[in-house]
Amino acid sequence: MAWQQQILRVNLSNGSCAIEPLNMEWAEAFLGSRGLGSKYLFEEMDPAADALSAENKIIFATGPLTGTMASTGGRYTVITKGALTGAIACSNSGGKFGGELKMAGYDLLIIEGESEKPVYLHIEDEKVEICDASEIWGKTVWETEELLAKKYQDPLMRFAGIGQAGETLCRYACVVNDKHRAAGRSGVGAVMGSKKIKTIAVRGTKGVRNKDPKAFYKIVNEVNARMTDRDEMSRDGTLAMMDVTNGFGSLPTRNNRSVRFEGANKLNPEAMHTPNENGHTNIVTNGACFGCTIGCGRICKIDPTHFSVKDRPEYHGASGGLEYETAYALGSACGVDDIDAATFAGFICNEYGMDPISLGGSIAAAMELFDIGAIDESTTGGIKLEFGSAEALCQIAELAGKGEGFGVDIAMGSKRLCEKYGHPDLSMTVKGQEFAAYDGRSMQGMGLAYATSNRGACHLRADPYGHDFETTEIEGKAEVVRDSQRDVAFLDSSGLCLFPGGCGWGLEDYRSLVDAACESDWSSDERMRETGERIWVLEKLFNLRAGLGKKDDTLPKRILEEPADVGTGKGLVCRLDEMLPEYYELCGWDAEGVPTSETLQRLGLD
Amino acid sequence: MDISVTLFGGLRHFLPAGSSFNKCNISAADGASLEALLQQIPIPANKPYIVILNDEKVSRENYAEITIQEKDEVVLLPPIKGG
Repeated sequence: MAWQQQILRVNLSNGSCAIEPLNMEWAEAFLGSRGLGSKYLFEEMDPAADALSAENKIIFATGPLTGTMASTGGRYTVITKGALTGAIACSNSGGKFGGELKMAGYDLLIIEGESEKPVYLHIEDEKVEICDASEIWGKTVWETEELLAKKYQDPLMRFAGIGQAGETLCRYACVVNDKHRAAGRSGVGAVMGSKKIKTIAVRGTKGVRNKDPKAFYKIVNEVNARMTDRDEMSRDGTLAMMDVTNGFGSLPTRNNRSVRFEGANKLNPEAMHTPNENGHTNIVTNGACFGCTIGCGRICKIDPTHFSVKDRPEYHGASGGLEYETAYALGSACGVDDIDAATFAGFICNEYGMDPISLGGSIAAAMELFDIGAIDESTTGGIKLEFGSAEALCQIAELAGKGEGFGVDIAMGSKRLCEKYGHPDLSMTVKGQEFAAYDGRSMQGMGLAYATSNRGACHLRADPYGHDFETTEIEGKAEVVRDSQRDVAFLDSSGLCLFPGGCGWGLEDYRSLVDAACESDWSSDERMRETGERIWVLEKLFNLRAGLGKKDDTLPKRILEEPADVGTGKGLVCRLDEMLPEYYELCGWDAEGVPTSETLQRLGLD
Repeated sequence: MDISVTLFGGLRHFLPAGSSFNKCNISAADGASLEALLQQIPIPANKPYIVILNDEKVSRENYAEITIQEKDEVVLLPPIKGG
């Protein structure tokens, strides 16, 4: 049985810790991780509650394949009501924390209530204690991990927690584990901060069982042999995408004013691998999460002579470098082509615990506000917040992480920022969450995927890439987005990463691993699709009860009304109004985007 | 005439020897089609790619009909995803 069949419930209001049996009926219907965590959240809290109140819960959920020998089987998901969006937040991370939590014996860790004083959670198998965090409150993610690692003297102990950004309730604070992997999106770190829980330290010794170890081992080897296209991901990581989107004309640039960045060649894989004029090379090596056979992670160093780290030797070591999304958000979105500056801002995100996509999107929006004169140096504390300014990027990133100066405004996220300064249309967000690194005008399917994503703008809730790179015509987009939202929900709930899907695996490979590990019959495509759809619709129901509706399934005015300036989509706007009705109909939802009673009945959600 | 061809992502492994990081110049006869030009790049048949000609995506069915002109810029992109 690949589930541990146990959950750990921690109530911070009364200080109780309890081990409970997992609801196996729900596990059979929602699989694990994202799906199962969402089911518990949906059943246990009022979606209308304030995300930063004690009524909200935060769930750390592993999947049935987390902690197994399946490639990439180290994923976990943080599920809560998002502080940035007010929608359901399902933020996924790799590293080694997820596998360790599973090996401690838990499918889910549910944290509820709120503490009066800062605390952290210490878990060693059944031994669970809520500990005083007064010595680590106010510390960075990196300092916290080092202090607790020194205290417990166990090199296999893993940590997932917040930095000062989470403590100061930055709306897009994230949960960082293993120093530079993160459950990044939607403000899950701010929810931890509101509950005054600094970090979770976990050590597990139980291992993970599955249905038939011999059969599972055979399937693992079979599907690993099909992962034939991983060399590029190992060498270039997700950053390989930058040349593709820039060439295609879908790389958001300067707050989506353009879809092509003239400085992309200074941020791309070639730039990362090529020594600069000082002989310094940005990348040191690649890195892999628990059980991963790809290793897409970037481990990088900043040029020690660069202005951002000169005389700051604490930043001269190697740490998590630019992925594609970070390079976009802290690069092209802000018009910055300085790879060391973007790397530094990324380090700050990991150190203070911020989502780099939302930080970059918020700085880009502020740069446009500065550009049109809506704010000036008197607002920014003397910082010339111009597009392209690497110095401003680095300064603002640190201020946002610490919650100081103009960084307080940046930490609100671009939606609240642009509303505050009278230009809400300049916020490139959906449901309050900043765009990922694709423009919805040249990639019409991605536009629809952003608009309908249950957690706000996101590039990982659907898979319209192949269709979008094939055609800008909208025929077929609604079906591709609907189908892939369902498939991704299933994959996310397995405990595996999505990236094997780009390295040779098909859906059937994920399904065969789940089937080999789990007790009941998961061998049919029909069950896989239905489970994914059930998860997707459950998330939608959470949002409807939280007060979100059709009005929130939309895109910024710029994407709907201002044509793309160059590239394959030149002259196009996103034709969302034509795709959305078809999408709702294909989903079995009414014209307002509400699932019909027949759909709910079919999925067992009535 | 020489036509500039840029191959992004893993496609660059199929550049002719002596090419720069991801670019090469490929000789094309006057009146040569885009299809004839692409046939000179040894990309295996099982490796899909997208063709951008002077900023415009070209559909596969049009490769044979398009005549390459001097100063044309051809970009080949792998259809990768995610990130």
